[in-house]
Amino acid sequence: MTAPVGHDCDVLIIGSGAGGATTAAILAEAGLDVIVVEEGPWVEQGSVVPFSLEQMDRQYRSGGVTVALGLPSIAYTEGRCAGGGTEVNSGLYRRPPAETLERWRTEYGIADFDSDDIEAICDEVEQALSVQAVPGAHTAPSEKLRLGAERLGWKHDEIPRWMAYPEQGNAVDGRRQSMTVTYLPRARRAGARLLVEHRLDRLVMNGDQAVSAELTDASGERPTAVSIAFRDVFVCGGAIQTPAILQRAGFRHRVGRTLAVHPTVKLAARFATEMNVPDDVPVHQVKEFSPDISFGGSASHPGLIALALSDNWRAFGAAITAWPQIAVYYAAITSQGRGWVQAVPGLRDPIVTYRLTKRDRHLLGQGLARLALLMLEADALEVYPSFRDAPSVRTRADLATMTAAFAASSASVMTVHLCSTVPMGERTERCAADSFGTVHGARNVHVNDASLLPDAPGVNPQASVMAVAIRNARRFVDRRSA
Amino acid sequence: MIEHPGTTVITGAGGWLGTGLVAAFSGAGDRRRTGRLRLLVRDRDDETRLLALTDGAGLTVEVVVGDISRADTIDRLFEGVTGSVDVLHTAGVIHPASMGDFEQVNHVGTANVLAGATAAGVRRMVHVSSNSPFGTNPERRDTFRNDEPYHPYLGYGRSKMEAELRVLEAAERGLNVVMVRPPWFYGPHQPARQTTFFTLVRTGRFPVFGDGGQRRSMVYIDNLVDGLVRAELTPTDAGLAWWIADARAYTVAEIVDTVGRALRDEGFANVKPNRLKLPELAGDVAERLDGILQKRGRYVQQLHVLGEMNKTIAVDIDAARRDLGYEPAVELYDGMRRSIRWCIEQGIQL
Repeated sequence: MTAPVGHDCDVLIIGSGAGGATTAAILAEAGLDVIVVEEGPWVEQGSVVPFSLEQMDRQYRSGGVTVALGLPSIAYTEGRCAGGGTEVNSGLYRRPPAETLERWRTEYGIADFDSDDIEAICDEVEQALSVQAVPGAHTAPSEKLRLGAERLGWKHDEIPRWMAYPEQGNAVDGRRQSMTVTYLPRARRAGARLLVEHRLDRLVMNGDQAVSAELTDASGERPTAVSIAFRDVFVCGGAIQTPAILQRAGFRHRVGRTLAVHPTVKLAARFATEMNVPDDVPVHQVKEFSPDISFGGSASHPGLIALALSDNWRAFGAAITAWPQIAVYYAAITSQGRGWVQAVPGLRDPIVTYRLTKRDRHLLGQGLARLALLMLEADALEVYPSFRDAPSVRTRADLATMTAAFAASSASVMTVHLCSTVPMGERTERCAADSFGTVHGARNVHVNDASLLPDAPGVNPQASVMAVAIRNARRFVDRRSA
Repeated sequence: MIEHPGTTVITGAGGWLGTGLVAAFSGAGDRRRTGRLRLLVRDRDDETRLLALTDGAGLTVEVVVGDISRADTIDRLFEGVTGSVDVLHTAGVIHPASMGDFEQVNHVGTANVLAGATAAGVRRMVHVSSNSPFGTNPERRDTFRNDEPYHPYLGYGRSKMEAELRVLEAAERGLNVVMVRPPWFYGPHQPARQTTFFTLVRTGRFPVFGDGGQRRSMVYIDNLVDGLVRAELTPTDAGLAWWIADARAYTVAEIVDTVGRALRDEGFANVKPNRLKLPELAGDVAERLDGILQKRGRYVQQLHVLGEMNKTIAVDIDAARRDLGYEPAVELYDGMRRSIRWCIEQGIQL
């Protein structure tokens, strides 16, 4: 045995996504000595086609899809690369709605959680990430969502994205302003060290104090052991990994017990004209039934279209030859269900379970049916819903056949928005961390990612994650200097 | 709105809504009509009742006794009509004697009326549909928009959906036909089952599930008559459909409470506080049993009503406001008082 490589620092940050990268920049710019460790690799933007299978391989955990057990099981994805989910998600940006902030403040007892402060941080984030609408033309699948909603008289919106565009650039010309081109370079310029392909094995505790982290460096030809000593540690591994890390360090109270997600169901729609844009997703969303149901467009390269058709491949498979005319769309719901994340000794990944309620299942069915109706209104020739043995839909009468055949338990339910496994607030009976993310019962272990959001915000959560992380990081700096 | 037709054909004229239309057309209000009413009823008792109702109104009233599921009835219904003709198709079965009636009356019957109206070259037809082709809302906050995917609720819902599909096909083929979709209605001319409703509330035995927070759209009969006539007389494209309901949906708790208040204010001193609180689960069980029995061709009214009572069925009337200028004049409390008064006038024991 060779002695592990040793580092030490003021603050260790585990994870480099929307929470970890912003935390690193704020702390490093305040003069703290920061190390960020990231399990995945650094992948230069542009070196991998967005939403491609290669990207799923290189930048996602487990090649793209992991499954939460339950009836139905729910597939979810986690980014696993420098920048985390921000490198691979849709790039759509929504501030947390005012009523969401109010609910979090009152129901979880979050102290000093002022909506105006959060809004001010959002202003800052929007500047830093160049959040904007598409200056030029939208993609065809995005236009179809808009058209269908308009004909039905349903409210719809273009969701701004954190993208930089050339002058008058079209949707497809955008350059994502993810963490690897924004907050991570900022953190580095301020002196933070970023160690990629470093997987955390465990946090070493001494009573209620974490003293060091043991990691495996997988960047070289052979894995090597690394040890990092610190004064404080921020766990920012996302809503699945963060609670598992805490559980392994001995933290149990309300940790990993309240996983919240936005479950989605999908369909593929075939049109008479060229539709497919393999490397981009629609920016329009339909918010008529918000917050309970929203509709949007999914990544639609041929592989993902095949996946969407696979629930009834015998009937739908032939349509794959028409893939250039097909796009994939989703219906997302706010769920009353909750899930569990449980670290298990000997297993690398935690066991995740999620249970939909009766109302959730009904909403998924109604959401999928309304989305199919919207597609027919947008002149889709045929709609292929993603559930086992689904009928194809060409007419309004077919919608009745579809709703009669639908059961959530046979649907391909998936989610990309995972949160709330370490809810923050002063109400200790329901919160695992305090109002600023310090884990209850710990002196120097903090969480600063999507795990802290007390429940699913009903909109794309990245803005909420970043705003909360920046707020908490600033409070940490203030307390340190006091 | 355009002028009244020379002839107004009403199917189901002896029913709750049909009688409401006949009363409005022969009454003193601004819905009063001239010309000819041709009324399709099921039996001679209805005929006698409707002739008494229209007596002295100056209308030419012709009553046809028959059944819309039979071709010869349709022939007689449209026999010899000339000039401008509108058809108000209100006939339908909600609580059938046997399951076959849903298909025969609601679906086949509607197809027959559509064919008759097409052959007779009518000016406009209004088909009375329902919320039932669309099922129930997936959550209490949800409200059905004007355009929704079909998701029929059991046998009645399927038959009313098939009827809607036949209407849409007829419109495609050139018939000037539109639809109104009323939810649960209330008001004068009510059938006996609605009397039971008042009695249950008065005796504190109306089944309320959970906290009674389920939302239900309802429509007062005069509001519905107004919406239906507007759908008839407002020129629009064929094939359109509108929800016609009171201005807002009520919670079940509010409905029970309001009816209790209306009963007290109409002089019923002995209204008991409602005490039949049932767990939500009981509603689900009733729904499932209802479904199983309907599959076997049996229909039990109490079970069906119970199975629906823990659901939200809420609709949005914005499209009717926009396209038809519909504005419901009566709300729940007033409508229920009028309804109770009507029962008292008829000597019905509540």
